[in-house]
Amino acid sequence: MSGICKTRLMEERKQWRKDHPYGFYARPEKAKDGTLDLMHWSCGIPGKEGTPWEGGMYKCMLHFPPEYPTLPPKCQFTPPLFHPNVFPSGTVCLSILNAEKGWKPALTIKQILLGVADLLVDPNNDDPAQTEAYQMFKRDKAGLYQKSD
Amino acid sequence: MRRTDQLAQLYGEKTAERIAKARLLVVGAGGIGCELLKNLCMSGSCSKRKHIKRPKAEVAVQAISAFNPGINAHAQQANITDPQFDFDLVLNALDNLEARRHVNIQCLAAKVPLIESGTAGYLGHSTAKPVEQKTFPVCTIRSTPSSPIHCIVWAKSYLFAQLFGEQTDEIEMDEDGDMQELAQLREEARALKRLSEAVGCPDFAWQVFNKVFVQDIERLLSMEDMWKNRRPPTVLNYNGLAAGALDSPDDQSPPSATAALEMFRSSAERLACRATQRSERTLLMFDKDDRDALEFVAAAANLRAYAFGIPPTSVFAVKAMAGNIIPAIATTNAIVAGMMALQAVNVVDHRLQDCFTVYLTYSSSHDRYYMKERLPPPNPRCSVCRRHYLTMRLADPARTTLADLLARVTDGIGTSQDMRLGEDVSIVEGSRILYDPDFDDNASKSFEELGLGPGSMLTLTSEDDDDAIPVVISIARPTYISCAITFEGFEDFRGFPPLEQAAPEESDDEEIVAVVEADDDVVVIEEDVLTKPVKRKMEDESPEAAKRPSLYDVREQPANSEIIDLD
Repeated sequence: MSGICKTRLMEERKQWRKDHPYGFYARPEKAKDGTLDLMHWSCGIPGKEGTPWEGGMYKCMLHFPPEYPTLPPKCQFTPPLFHPNVFPSGTVCLSILNAEKGWKPALTIKQILLGVADLLVDPNNDDPAQTEAYQMFKRDKAGLYQKSD
Repeated sequence: MRRTDQLAQLYGEKTAERIAKARLLVVGAGGIGCELLKNLCMSGSCSKRKHIKRPKAEVAVQAISAFNPGINAHAQQANITDPQFDFDLVLNALDNLEARRHVNIQCLAAKVPLIESGTAGYLGHSTAKPVEQKTFPVCTIRSTPSSPIHCIVWAKSYLFAQLFGEQTDEIEMDEDGDMQELAQLREEARALKRLSEAVGCPDFAWQVFNKVFVQDIERLLSMEDMWKNRRPPTVLNYNGLAAGALDSPDDQSPPSATAALEMFRSSAERLACRATQRSERTLLMFDKDDRDALEFVAAAANLRAYAFGIPPTSVFAVKAMAGNIIPAIATTNAIVAGMMALQAVNVVDHRLQDCFTVYLTYSSSHDRYYMKERLPPPNPRCSVCRRHYLTMRLADPARTTLADLLARVTDGIGTSQDMRLGEDVSIVEGSRILYDPDFDDNASKSFEELGLGPGSMLTLTSEDDDDAIPVVISIARPTYISCAITFEGFEDFRGFPPLEQAAPEESDDEEIVAVVEADDDVVVIEEDVLTKPVKRKMEDESPEAAKRPSLYDVREQPANSEIIDLD
């Protein structure tokens, strides 16, 4: 792991401690040896009010590669979510998390989680990651949300 | 005539003596390393060599001893984290980023200069930044490939692994961040799993074909929106392809779709046969030198390429890409090793101003092969060199706790104001957070309990003062000491310019504090632990004053050559 990766993640942690969006959480996961693992963060995204997601807390992991922030982290919902842009494994398919598309090293953990929160409410059917949710969303937006409840 | 006599004629007596006395560490004994060892010992320059971890070192040492029997060469498969570095100069001849980072930070901690090198085909450099390895987003591999390498990664890391491998095999994809992802997707790929159970069935190859080149493509096509801005794939027709004219493909040219299908069928059969020849299923791992595995991956990748309208790839090219091979060119290695030896002479002769970063380039618009660049000044924001490096010895690692260390550092280590970290400190080792203001669970744990021993490096960062310079502490072997915690390495402290005054990253020399004014002048930074550095221009350049240049910046962010520290 490079110095840049480590320094950046410690800075992210500091910034998150100072300020983070209401209802969200993000912290390095506790490893078996009792220390915190800087490379794997466990996060929670609150469901947006006034949407079918309201009232839920959607848990995900951010897995950072050693090349972070040159490369983006992987965001994975645990358990997986039923959503057109979430792979059956839970991994989120989102342009800002794609090194060849929208990822920029300047994007913070806060921006990533806000981006994923927006994606929940506003799926992008041009980049589907699972067939079932894609078809359902295409046919019947409301039906999709019923299933995800 | 002794070798040193020749050197004396070339460089003068004084330099020749320095070269003869220099203690060098060569890390790595591969392509560049072996050339470099030869260069160094032919010049009689190195009195000692070591090597980390690999047995190649022993072979190399035997070989070079024959060149110059007077040389004192040691092959050492050791870890350079061993605190007692005793070298004037380290030369990297490594092939991967992780080891480079490791050596870089160890050299900084040990305050030993480093010469870095690397080659890739006809290209190469000595002292420069290594390149990151390429990874691919999972969506590209699974659903929307657009280049041959996407198909190859799919065939090797997904299809081959699913059919013939076991879960652990897929970790091999770690160069490719999506491996883990694919390993998880494996759980859902029930159909493929069933197929992998069908290994050995007479129509196995056809079943696989039907799944991945018919059903899966149909499933992708059903998501029409995906193809609004992309070229949609086409479903392959087994019988149609099989009926085509079969050319006899060689490894160097891309196979036709018919040839790829035939290769797919036959290699799948051979692999299935190998997997099932014993009563228990034999799990296969992809190996570029395994002909069956290579043919299967090449054939599957090319069939996928045909389905997605991507140009096909020769078996030879697939082998290079799937095996992550960049052919090494002996001449390039020799050129780079030669440049390193020349740089090494400059460094041991304390002539940093003569050191350059040299790149090898080739392009039709340029008629020069070598590109020479002055060493850039240290990046004031560098996350590796903007650190205080210290060595720590513990009397009793089983009893001394993290809280004991914290008590020692909050008011500043030693007497230096520069070292003040304040109340809120975080302690990180590798990717482990041991302690920070929100996480004090480990404060009462001992170093031993936390698995911290000789070689561990702790980074201490102030959480409330952004200007405080982080302190990197290497733990050394305990010797007899009465004090619970002893620090060493203060004598090398130097001040850092405050960040707001420091130049932005793409600065030129003038903007950096304490740099050169004119080319021939030497700027001296006087070091005093208690005060900020004082700049003064040296009117009279005496060799004594420049006895030991501050070389420890020649690393990730190389120092400006004209800065000289007075000890």
